[in-house]
Amino acid sequence: MSAASIERCLWLIFAAFLVAVPWLIPMVISNFWVSVIAEILIWSLFAASVNLLFGYVGLLSFGQALYFGFGMYGVAIGIQDLGLSFWPAFWLGIVAAMAMALVTGIFAVRLTWHYFAIITVVFSLIFYFLALTNKWLTGGDDGINFTLPPAIDVGGLRMSFTDSTFQYFFILSTVALCFWLMHRLVASPLGKAFLAIRDNDVRASLIGLNVYLLRLIAFVLAGFLAGVAGALFAFFGRYASASYMFYHVSGEAVVWVIVGGAGTLLGPVVGTTLFIIVREIVSTHWEHHALIVGTVAILVVIFAPKGVVGLWNDWIARITERRAVPSGATQLRTEP
Amino acid sequence: MDRLLLLAMNGLIWGLIIALIALGLAIIFGLLDIINLAHGDFFMIGTVLAWATLQSTGSFWLAFLVAPLIGFAMGALIQRFVIQPIHNVAALSIVATFGLSLILQEGVRITYGPTPGRILPPIQSTIPMFGVDYEVYRLFAAAVAILALGGFFLFLQHTKLGTWMRAVRHDRDTAVALGIPAGQVYVLTFAIGFALAALGGVVAAPITTVDFRGGVDILPFCFMAVIIGGLGNLPGTAAAAILLSFLEGIIQSVADPTVARIASLVLMSTVLLLRPQGLFKGLTR
Repeated sequence: MSAASIERCLWLIFAAFLVAVPWLIPMVISNFWVSVIAEILIWSLFAASVNLLFGYVGLLSFGQALYFGFGMYGVAIGIQDLGLSFWPAFWLGIVAAMAMALVTGIFAVRLTWHYFAIITVVFSLIFYFLALTNKWLTGGDDGINFTLPPAIDVGGLRMSFTDSTFQYFFILSTVALCFWLMHRLVASPLGKAFLAIRDNDVRASLIGLNVYLLRLIAFVLAGFLAGVAGALFAFFGRYASASYMFYHVSGEAVVWVIVGGAGTLLGPVVGTTLFIIVREIVSTHWEHHALIVGTVAILVVIFAPKGVVGLWNDWIARITERRAVPSGATQLRTEP
Repeated sequence: MDRLLLLAMNGLIWGLIIALIALGLAIIFGLLDIINLAHGDFFMIGTVLAWATLQSTGSFWLAFLVAPLIGFAMGALIQRFVIQPIHNVAALSIVATFGLSLILQEGVRITYGPTPGRILPPIQSTIPMFGVDYEVYRLFAAAVAILALGGFFLFLQHTKLGTWMRAVRHDRDTAVALGIPAGQVYVLTFAIGFALAALGGVVAAPITTVDFRGGVDILPFCFMAVIIGGLGNLPGTAAAAILLSFLEGIIQSVADPTVARIASLVLMSTVLLLRPQGLFKGLTR
């Protein structure tokens, strides 16, 4: 089997598994794990927003929690204070996150590397503290609880998140759609331009790419992904809180992405899954699960700096290569 | 007016302590080129070591010796076994130090416990100042911080090791060609960075609380000092720490502490955007 067909097989199994979750998981484990998987899907999308910036454009953002928080609050404030129904609140969350990403991005993408990492965390801290102090709007650390209006209410058809299967499929399809869009984006000319900037921004500018504008576009798109994740999380928990805008939330996503494999579509999913499953399994037995999380993070960066997916890709490449190329044959370098 | 002076004085003293910690962060940042997310926890370890020394020996003063030494040793080990294997790659070092931060916090939570504690100042006396009975220990803390800052700059400018640290920072390849053991200088730098933060922890322990989350608030503040002072500009970092804390103290006399924090964050983003070399570029070398 070639690497590509192995990959296709795995994708099919993965997709079939995700669709079967609401029936399979309660049979094998318990209902609780369906909601854990839904949560993993949401956080994977959040990690994907870090990955879009770091893995594809080379900008390490430490402040994506800001846009996650705006997605959350857009939904919560939309429903609770403005009395919006489901879809307008969803859009409000997404637009709020993207608008915020645009405004902060205009300043942030002027900087690169250390400076970029720090200014993103500074922006997110500013709004974290603002959210803490403006309790009348945000509820501060206690947050806003709200009751969720039904998602679909046409004629006799009424679907809402109180139905856990509907909730799961709504989250799954939204996350899958976003990942599909990201897949298309990476393959598009825009995505190639992103990669050119990641690999060498000076050369990219010399072949006529507008580096500043492209970075800004990437930043807003990453804000979109984080905003959708935040809005979904607000639907999921019927809750929004300033604590999700703290830099620890952004930092965790950076860890998930690098441990999973930055610059790969599935890397964030793998990293997020790994850490959330460890947390869920260990934390029920042992309250000090953070020790394990920390140790895993350190071990992965030492022994698998390209992340779990990078390790896997290398492994697959070695197996298929060994079959394809008889031993002793000289290998041609196709890349410079 | 008295209240303003009091808060300004508190801010100034706190700024001197922060300057110590931020200096540790700045040398690690400047020399090893890594963003050390565990640095706040190095400070927190210092406060816990102060508490542990007081509990086991009954003497707080001993902590001024014990904590920096243990910090130095831990820093050396961490550099050798965690930072060095990842070849100082910035993105990986962020993950590694984030993991380290979790381990240190959780380790303290297991051993010390989850509830914040207080240490009584070893100097109990007070003097009347600004209309209140001001703790003499705070003045003592400021003196220790000034001495340590001065000592560090003397070390950096006038000893062989200090010169090596500056040389490797300035031009690693040339330094190596001249026979300076760069690998050991990295270990030394990280160890000194940890020791400075731990010393800051001891000095601050009777003023603040001993808590496994004690480093979380300190970290952004230290980064602010490093950025506003200018990356790699060590006197600038120290000056920025003092200035920031002083300003926050003054703003706190009229507004909420959070407002003060927001003000310094806004100042920091302005500096980042307009003068990424730091406020003091050109004033010091």
